[in-house]
Amino acid sequence: MKEKRRGPMGRAAEMAEGVAAVMRRMQRDREPRVLVYDATGYARLLQPQARGYDGVLAASERMVRLVVEEEA
Amino acid sequence: MAGTLTPERTAARLCELSGDARAAVLLDAAGSLAGHSDLERELARSLGELARGLFEAIDQAPRALGVDPPEQVEAQVEGGTVYASRTPSWTLAVVARRSALSSLMLCDLRAVLAELEGGPQIRRSVGAPTAGGDAVLDSPMPELGGEER
Repeated sequence: MKEKRRGPMGRAAEMAEGVAAVMRRMQRDREPRVLVYDATGYARLLQPQARGYDGVLAASERMVRLVVEEEA
Repeated sequence: MAGTLTPERTAARLCELSGDARAAVLLDAAGSLAGHSDLERELARSLGELARGLFEAIDQAPRALGVDPPEQVEAQVEGGTVYASRTPSWTLAVVARRSALSSLMLCDLRAVLAELEGGPQIRRSVGAPTAGGDAVLDSPMPELGGEER
């Protein structure tokens, strides 16, 4: 079990760690990601070096861009 | 009532079901545009071609021996997420907000395709009416009553 820090410096450090974790998560969420699902709903992450990944990403980016431009 | 959804209405139906869906297209088994949500025809055609390319790219991806090709795909990119689902007869693709919940969107895609293929009609749950508001149109659990107010 993680030992709890005490004092104002400890609390500030914990807050900073929390903010850093949120920033890391936000950064990760912004990264492109491709998931494929089989008939049972089992998900598999398509790796960036996998064949087909670039094609999926290119088509998806173009689709989103077209819709965003239409909405603007 | 089963079998009331037409290919022309399917994409629009998906956008009605999900507030996070921005645009949707339906392709037939040959990959031709069979329907689209409220879009310019040219835009719908472009989205349809890209949706077809999406699954062509997916089918190039390696998979284990004996594993069927993926039925659904989710691609998160800057500015939004593309979800697509296919059956032997149809492919339905939607551009959604990045904040959309994947599980709900994929479930909606499956449900709409199932309805198109003669499955049960999707029943929507609606909120309780306000004092002077409209009546509840459809209860997800009609056996509990309260459909008409």
